[in-house]
Amino acid sequence: MRRRMGAVAVALVVGLAVLPAGAGAPRDLLDEVLARGFLFVSTDPNYAPQSFINARGEMDGFDVDVAKEVARRLGVRVQFVTPAWEAIVSGRWGGRWDVSIGSMTITEDRQKVLHFTPPYYFTPAQFAVHKANTRFRAVTDLTGRRVGVCGGCTYELYLRGTLKLVGETVEFKVRNAVIRTYETDADAIQDLALGDGVRLDAVLSALPTLVFAIKRGVPIKLLGDPVYYEHLAFAVDRFSLRDPTRFVQRLGEIVQAMHADGTLTRLSLKWYGVDLTKKK
Amino acid sequence: MAHAGEAAAIEQAVSRRLAAFARAQQIRLALVWVGLAAALGWLFARFRFDYGFMVGWAAFLVRGVPITIGVSVVSITLALVLGLVAALGRLSGNPVAHGVATFYTSFIRGTPLLVQVYLIYLGLPQLGIVLDAIPSGVAALSINYGAYIAEIIRAGILSVGRGQVEAALSLGMTRTQVMRRIVLPQALRVVVPPVGNEFIAMLKDSALVSVMGVWELTFRATKVGRQYFRSLEMLVFAAAIYWGLTILFSTLQSRVEGRLARAYER
Repeated sequence: MRRRMGAVAVALVVGLAVLPAGAGAPRDLLDEVLARGFLFVSTDPNYAPQSFINARGEMDGFDVDVAKEVARRLGVRVQFVTPAWEAIVSGRWGGRWDVSIGSMTITEDRQKVLHFTPPYYFTPAQFAVHKANTRFRAVTDLTGRRVGVCGGCTYELYLRGTLKLVGETVEFKVRNAVIRTYETDADAIQDLALGDGVRLDAVLSALPTLVFAIKRGVPIKLLGDPVYYEHLAFAVDRFSLRDPTRFVQRLGEIVQAMHADGTLTRLSLKWYGVDLTKKK
Repeated sequence: MAHAGEAAAIEQAVSRRLAAFARAQQIRLALVWVGLAAALGWLFARFRFDYGFMVGWAAFLVRGVPITIGVSVVSITLALVLGLVAALGRLSGNPVAHGVATFYTSFIRGTPLLVQVYLIYLGLPQLGIVLDAIPSGVAALSINYGAYIAEIIRAGILSVGRGQVEAALSLGMTRTQVMRRIVLPQALRVVVPPVGNEFIAMLKDSALVSVMGVWELTFRATKVGRQYFRSLEMLVFAAAIYWGLTILFSTLQSRVEGRLARAYER
């Protein structure tokens, strides 16, 4: 961070409108990361068990472990930054961080502003209802009902019927749901927990998130089978100040290698209790 | 002689009565506070909070307090400087200074703080200016509060009688000297209470810098709350800390006000 602050000071002093290139040939993002010796990773600690703050007050979870391993394979140290999710998915990071390792679903819209690596794991999108519920027996029963989702995420787009996933055809089973959006899935889950039909009839979220909530004693239960599978990948800013092509390529190679040598499977078992690194 | 002694006795009796009355008023005040606090406590008790959980995360939450206070103190200081400059600009006869100052206060007071936070955090990097999260937060809060404080300082300056300024000028002081020696010291007394109020508001508004990933009080409370699906517990806990801080700083503020009021006491 300090190095970049220095660069900024220089940029301000000479009155340039763009970040100054290093001496000699302009370096790309991969060179920049390697030279700096630090990988800045954004991850949103709102989503246990993939990214959260542990009892010691440190970043922990599946994504955090994956990020540490990626940095190790790049031969640099990792530094986490924790901006709001909107700031991450909107792209145009201005060089604040290099990569998002935050269980981001690959969507066509996001591809307009972000580069994605091949998926590092897959999560089932799943409906849940209050524990006391007896009204709904199948996902299709939720038609016209109040469903809570995180705002701007794939679950909202699914309910709107506009979700376009890369590598997956989506079948929209719930029609005309009354969509209630929240800042995060956890907020929706807590609202559902108030009681059956008090504020919400159901939530749509990631299966691991729901399972985790149930494990923490939240009175909800799963409804039906997963409705689609999300392909989750690392993301890199398409409008990066430095050319990200080789960096994205290198990250992709690391993902493939971590699939091949079982690292991702091991971490998935550690955090989710199941292997989510293979589709279905 | 006897007459004088009688007067003194009456005066003594009156002051005793007044003191007794003041004490009784204070006791009533304390009782109202205790009663309301008990009512609030009863309300929260019905929320069935997990107090063990709250105590377990207390240390983690409290570590956000220095960041909250630090960001607020630095921001209010910078905001005072900005506010003074903008107030002088608004009062100035120079059309450029006046225009810049009025445009600044209009734009800043007319747009939400959260939008300004994002403009600085995500907008400035598009121009190649990448400030870290905390400096971005301090910049957003200072620029925002500077606009409001400008109005406070302007009011403070205008509260000093025109006659005093004319008198000082006729004594041969320059305009700068009049401002520094006559107007500003008197304006200060008028300005301190509302600025203290702004600072107290800022303590809570500093929560908005959490969207940039600054681990201050609100950031910590929301992250832990969501992770354990106990957001209400953590938010109420954070609220209690904010309230405590506010009580602390308003006590400090009334001390400062007391000092500045000394010259005006009979």
